[in-house]
Amino acid sequence: MAPTPPTDAELNVLIRARLAALGIDLDQLPPGTTPDPETGSPGRDSVLASLRSFVRGTVATLAAYQLPAPVGTDPEVANALSQQHVPVLYPSNSTEWRKA
Amino acid sequence: MRSEPFDRTVDRRAFLARAAALATASAVGATVGLPSVALASSSLSTNTGPGTRRRPLDQPNAYTEPRPAALAEPTELTIAEAAWLIRAGKLTPEQLVEAYLARISRYDGSYQAFNLVLADAAIAAARVAARRPRDGVLHGIPLAIKDNYYTEGVPTTANSFLFQDFVPPYDATAVARLKASGAIVLGKTQMGPLATTRATTPAGLITTVNAWAPTNPGTDPGGSSTGTATAVAGRMATSGIGTQTGGSITAPSNAQNLTGIKPTMGRVSAAGIIPLTYTRDHPGPLARDAKDAAIMLTAMAGEDSMDPRSQGLPQVPDLIDAASPVYHRRRVKLRWNTRIGVLPGFTNGTSPTALARAAYLAQLAAIPGATLVDVPLPDEWSLLTGNTFNNARLPERTEPFMPYLRTDLRGFGVSVTSWLQGALLGGNEFITTQRAKLLLLDRVLNELFDGCDVVVQTDPVPFDILGLPEIAFPIGATAAGLPIGTILGGLPYAEDRLLSVVAAYQAVTDWHLRRPADPPTDAGARGAAPAQAHRLTAEEVAELSQ
Repeated sequence: MAPTPPTDAELNVLIRARLAALGIDLDQLPPGTTPDPETGSPGRDSVLASLRSFVRGTVATLAAYQLPAPVGTDPEVANALSQQHVPVLYPSNSTEWRKA
Repeated sequence: MRSEPFDRTVDRRAFLARAAALATASAVGATVGLPSVALASSSLSTNTGPGTRRRPLDQPNAYTEPRPAALAEPTELTIAEAAWLIRAGKLTPEQLVEAYLARISRYDGSYQAFNLVLADAAIAAARVAARRPRDGVLHGIPLAIKDNYYTEGVPTTANSFLFQDFVPPYDATAVARLKASGAIVLGKTQMGPLATTRATTPAGLITTVNAWAPTNPGTDPGGSSTGTATAVAGRMATSGIGTQTGGSITAPSNAQNLTGIKPTMGRVSAAGIIPLTYTRDHPGPLARDAKDAAIMLTAMAGEDSMDPRSQGLPQVPDLIDAASPVYHRRRVKLRWNTRIGVLPGFTNGTSPTALARAAYLAQLAAIPGATLVDVPLPDEWSLLTGNTFNNARLPERTEPFMPYLRTDLRGFGVSVTSWLQGALLGGNEFITTQRAKLLLLDRVLNELFDGCDVVVQTDPVPFDILGLPEIAFPIGATAAGLPIGTILGGLPYAEDRLLSVVAAYQAVTDWHLRRPADPPTDAGARGAAPAQAHRLTAEEVAELSQ
């Protein structure tokens, strides 16, 4: 069963916590939705709204993407075969390149 | 000159391997050794170092006798034409520099293309050039440099609060190579803050206008290499350089009637350029025609020990020859027989752009050696090249900026949101996109290019994602007189093929020779548009971000 989608408040906590874990304090930005008059940087509420949309859109969509298995693959083994699309070559290859 | 361009001799599997290795470097935040790209059937060796880099900047095809219309006005000359006059002793570098400085003094108040003009240094360099032996086609040619390229002893701001006091101790490799080839740096150009969106102040106030609509700041000049484009289009520099991560060379070139090349990933070193993304940043020229683009790229390209992305590539081919039209019985023909792939819907509709595209294809098809072929889009094209997958670039801009994000969020100005977005994209999703990127590349190389040698583009982003080369050039104008451009994409290292096609097209058309009227010098002329149209919001920047 799919989990219940997070609420705005829950996402705000997630976003603030993630940024804080990286050492980024969103409260550096001005409060509310009014941009900083000097630098043009957006208010933190505007940024939070944009970041919530990003998490619900980009992050969720990318996480849900399933690399395709070869055409004609038995659905029973499709997930396993989708792993064949590797993003990187193994370290042994890289070692060989450095020697070249 | 080779009898065939490089693109069909490069081992595609090796290009895939390089792309994978770059993904590795990005994913682990480290530098990796890259494999050489094998040549499938050639005795050509790869570059072995800067000393062996071929730089055919002093060959007959590099020089073009000036058009009569250009003889009366030095700022109208292309690089090839100005170099012809300099070689003939009919123009000095100092005269050329002074002509540009006069235009900058008169018109840059309206254009706002430069954020720093190096007038005294440029004149001094021109005088030095006059005393030196001429060393090639770029000898004494004044250039505009986007302000994210390091320039030794000269501020490099990337148009950001974060770098407003940064003075690099050395030149970016591309700048150093242009200067070593004899070029003169006229100044640093306005750009989208940190290479996002069109040129504004870091706080979002629009600065640079389109040279074709100088009194209307609402007319998009293209970004983020906006200032370079406006400087070249407005005849305030002979040529210039920019960078592209999501269309930042091709878009301003198309918007301002220029010919710009985004070369293959690694073809030009990105060392000494303030990064946006390690796997997507491409340095390249914005020029007045294909020949000038070839001259600039020839000077910039080649292996660099400071940038692993540039290592192990095929030797830079003779791009200047490639960009020189060839004739059979006084009729232009393509240098190499070329199948031009046309994507579904490229000419759909009745808009000025659609009509210009149809005319452009008809003119191309009439050139001997050109064959138009319909090609299908690879599976999942829209998804894998769309905004969501394009967002995979965001963590790469976040990671190198962490010290600034921790201490100075307001210093990012209107551009801060995308840097924070990158911090929220996890490794899981990032790896998925890297896997998908290689899947897309495999489909493009093995499906799309099986039917053609070059392919029309409707959006620069797909080939940005893949690191494949593309060239932007003018093909028409709207009823209001604004330029209409188009983009051709090629196989890995196909810059020579792309230049050869555009050179032939430009030999039978004159769109690239059109120049905008001079702007009014009255500073108040820019005040005609509503004030609110002069400022981009953070939301707009996030939407437009490169």
